Amino acid sequence: MVIDFNTVYDLPKDMDRLFAGILGSSGMAQRRITYPLINVSENDESYMVDICLPGVPAEELEITLAARSLIIKGERKAPEGRYFRQERAAGSFQRIISLNVPVARDGVTAKSENGIVRVTLPKTEEVKPRRIAIE
Amino acid sequence: MNTKERENAILPATDILERSEGFHIFMDMPGVAPDALSIDLEENELMVTGASRYTPASETQGRYSTPEFGAPVYRRVFTLSDMVDRERIKASLKDGVLDLFLPKAEAMKPRRIPISSGELE
Repeated sequence: MVIDFNTVYDLPKDMDRLFAGILGSSGMAQRRITYPLINVSENDESYMVDICLPGVPAEELEITLAARSLIIKGERKAPEGRYFRQERAAGSFQRIISLNVPVARDGVTAKSENGIVRVTLPKTEEVKPRRIAIE
Repeated sequence: MNTKERENAILPATDILERSEGFHIFMDMPGVAPDALSIDLEENELMVTGASRYTPASETQGRYSTPEFGAPVYRRVFTLSDMVDRERIKASLKDGVLDLFLPKAEAMKPRRIPISSGELE
């Protein structure tokens, strides 16, 4: 007699999902420990720091440019009510990004869209790539 | 929505809480614009899907350090109880957080049953 459990237990797929979950979480850098999550990138003109901060309005967020670092500070408030489930992080946070490169301090801008803040730090003339003319 | 997107969809972090007038579901969906969000109610199942429009700068230009977040498709399905008034569900998306308001149905609000005295028939 052959009993087909396929409709009841989707085991191979469940296992795949389990492994994908384990690998997926370690793939992203330092997940769950650091908050907020950031992506740092650069192009020829500037450095970009993207900060993932859903639900934090601009007035609750403080971005400071110190001598050699960028400080992101703020508070994320939990809504009031009787909780059945709470997965969203709440509370005060701070994250410091060290800048090992000179930036044009007056040109730094920040823009928020759909809960993601992008800080643009323009490069100074000294560090911008420059083509050297051959005489 | 193709199969690949369905497999890759991630569960957004969610708060579910009760207030006197009804239930609120808050979901973190950073990078999702209001027009990229869909909320479908089919019988008892409420399915929320949103695709992040965040474009990491590396894709258009420049170089990257290790990325910590990306632009996923968020999806989560909830089963509603009969307590919820389906006709009056409201949703708003602000700063990457979806606020779903599920009001309690009038018929389900607690009601005291009056007791009259007399003989039972």
